[in-house]
Amino acid sequence: MKILVVDDSKAMRMIVVRTLRQAGFNGHDVVEAENGKEGLEKTRELKPDLVLSDWNMPEMTGIEFLKALRGSGDSTPFCFVTSEGSEEMRAMASAAGALGLIAKPFTDDAFRDTLGSVVGS
Amino acid sequence: MTTFEALAEVQDELDAIVIDVLGSVLDEEAAPAYTELPEGQVAWARLAIHDAADDSFTVAEVRVGIALARVLAGRMMYVADPGDDDVLDAVAELGNICAGNVKSLVCHDARLSLPTAGIGSGLESLSGAAVRVRAVVLGHLVELAVTPGASIEGLDWPPTAVDEELERQR
Repeated sequence: MKILVVDDSKAMRMIVVRTLRQAGFNGHDVVEAENGKEGLEKTRELKPDLVLSDWNMPEMTGIEFLKALRGSGDSTPFCFVTSEGSEEMRAMASAAGALGLIAKPFTDDAFRDTLGSVVGS
Repeated sequence: MTTFEALAEVQDELDAIVIDVLGSVLDEEAAPAYTELPEGQVAWARLAIHDAADDSFTVAEVRVGIALARVLAGRMMYVADPGDDDVLDAVAELGNICAGNVKSLVCHDARLSLPTAGIGSGLESLSGAAVRVRAVVLGHLVELAVTPGASIEGLDWPPTAVDEELERQR
């Protein structure tokens, strides 16, 4: 399985990759992008099986990235990993076609609960 | 109720945010602290929250002593000797997580800036009355100051299409 991790912070991309492993999701190919624009390009080029994306990023935000994907008919499973976990943002994420929103700071359990249905161990 | 009064009422939750965030990114126990950050070089990250309800800005700033900032960067990025860019990235993300949680706590119709981070000493406090919380982790202090009405000069904002979406949902 190929997983695309999109975040403008290198430190957070590394934490997301580490948490995937700690949640038991081992052996997957992980590719990275620094913002929504680069994430969109890499999704089209590399065809990942799952996108984990921050929301608040330069160039293109996570929600714009998701809408661009869905607008082009791409239904790749997409989950936000973001510091803002309000009900309004969860509702907006769901309406745009995200499978979930994991709020930072997060735990291994949050990854298992939210991603378990799409990521195999 | 002013934003400052609202923040003062949720000071315990602000304490919990700092402790939870530090515990998560460092995988270490953190506890509330009530002493001032010692003088010396610090790494800092600053973000603003724009509250659309009253068109006001609140600035959240995290300050970490440089020794702890280097430990933080090393742990987050799996490097033994993190450079200044690694430290800035790690502290910016620490600030981003804290500010995102502050936004979710006190505002429902708001926008968060991108983080700005730096390393320096003798950094002056932001102008305005701040609600400050501190935590101790690995024997070092971390401070989160939340200042309604502080200057947002120098802060960058993400693209605005998301704001238009919030406007439509209102």
